[in-house]
Amino acid sequence: MSKLSRPPQGETLGLTNCPTCKYLCHLEQGNCPRCGQAVQSRDRTSVQKSWALLITAAILLFPANLYPITIMTSQGQVRQDTIFSGINHLVHLDLLPIAIILFTASILVPMLKIFGLALYLTAISYRLPISKKTLMAGFHIIEWIGRWSMLDLFVISITAALINMGQIWDAKPAPAATAFALVILLTQLAAKVLDTRLLWDRLESKDDTN
Amino acid sequence: MTLDDRKRPRTDMKTEVLDKSIVLCRACDLVVRKRALPTGVRALCPRCHTNLYDTPYCSVNGMLALCITALVLYFPANFFPVLEMHFLGSIRTTTIAGGAMAVASQGYWVVGIAVLVAAVIAPGLLIVSILTQVLIVKYRLRVPFFRNIYKKLLKQHSLLAQLSMLEIYMISIFVSVFQLSDYTDLYFGIGTFCFTMLFIMVIFMQREYDIEHMWSVLDE
Ligand SMILES: [Zn+2]
Ligand SMILES: [Zn+2]
Repeated sequence: MSKLSRPPQGETLGLTNCPTCKYLCHLEQGNCPRCGQAVQSRDRTSVQKSWALLITAAILLFPANLYPITIMTSQGQVRQDTIFSGINHLVHLDLLPIAIILFTASILVPMLKIFGLALYLTAISYRLPISKKTLMAGFHIIEWIGRWSMLDLFVISITAALINMGQIWDAKPAPAATAFALVILLTQLAAKVLDTRLLWDRLESKDDTN
Repeated sequence: MTLDDRKRPRTDMKTEVLDKSIVLCRACDLVVRKRALPTGVRALCPRCHTNLYDTPYCSVNGMLALCITALVLYFPANFFPVLEMHFLGSIRTTTIAGGAMAVASQGYWVVGIAVLVAAVIAPGLLIVSILTQVLIVKYRLRVPFFRNIYKKLLKQHSLLAQLSMLEIYMISIFVSVFQLSDYTDLYFGIGTFCFTMLFIMVIFMQREYDIEHMWSVLDE
């Protein structure tokens, strides 16, 4: 496939969408005539910004999962739970649906998000044997599902506010909660800053059936 | 001088025609020819399947009614407890902000702020922002001062919409109930009802709201 068969892109026509209001702007104008935002065809630094945020998130994923996220006191007995042991505890209590919801929101989604974004960013810089369509579909899913990780933090805040009866029954957040909140924030930012058009500037490979 | 003057209008004419008939995919920059759509249908990018545009349907009066209802519900939903717990004769209650404070007071202020922003501040600002936008479109769009405010609000809209997580909070109430119901009795109060209604109103509000359409109002 040569350059000739490539579908027409806005960049080749000297046109681009305003990043703020999506108005169709001419690149030589410099600023969007409707909202005044500076326009540029591609944000090439977005790949580095996205990597930086993503790597920080990936590092924080370790304390978020290894340290306890809640401390529960029940009749003088103290029980510390990590994200995983908390979910495991729910399975033993026969609360399987809740365990599945929390497993998805707190373990599956953050890991898929970090793995998926890393794959997308790698595909911008290197040729990967994955079609761009699949990558883009994955990106849209990540964008949509990413916020659901907040579920666990909401539950912790409700539980901590209701259960505060000292030695009898008490629930408190533990250090992993902060790390987990930062993982959510950083991964959401990493997806938001990325200019997805960069992936589509790569020439079509044989894996793409357009 | 003569050459320049003669050239300019021509290129402008050409691009003017181009601007109205094409749309660029925001995810992959593909040039797509715009076509008229039947109502309720959205156009997808043929290359990467990102949503391109849909038929603008945005009744200003309907939006206004939804915004006012949501705003009225916002206060009881945040003032009354969303969950009530009866344990050994004592009653414990919590509001959404109360939950955020309980976490923050233990030193986990990052978590507290996240909860407060996602479930209280951002939804509130979102409702006020949309209400103001609708009122400006309806009555005061010609006044430059209000026009500027309108633009500023539109610029912040996608951030507010992303930060507002009422639907997730809704589910977390149910998860908490299931988790704790083995140990104690939990009750929904008037706050839970108001919160549920608020959540439904905001869902409808966001379905009705179309940011592209709101921006295009400025072009008229
Ligand atoms: Zn603009
Ligand atoms: Zn596209």
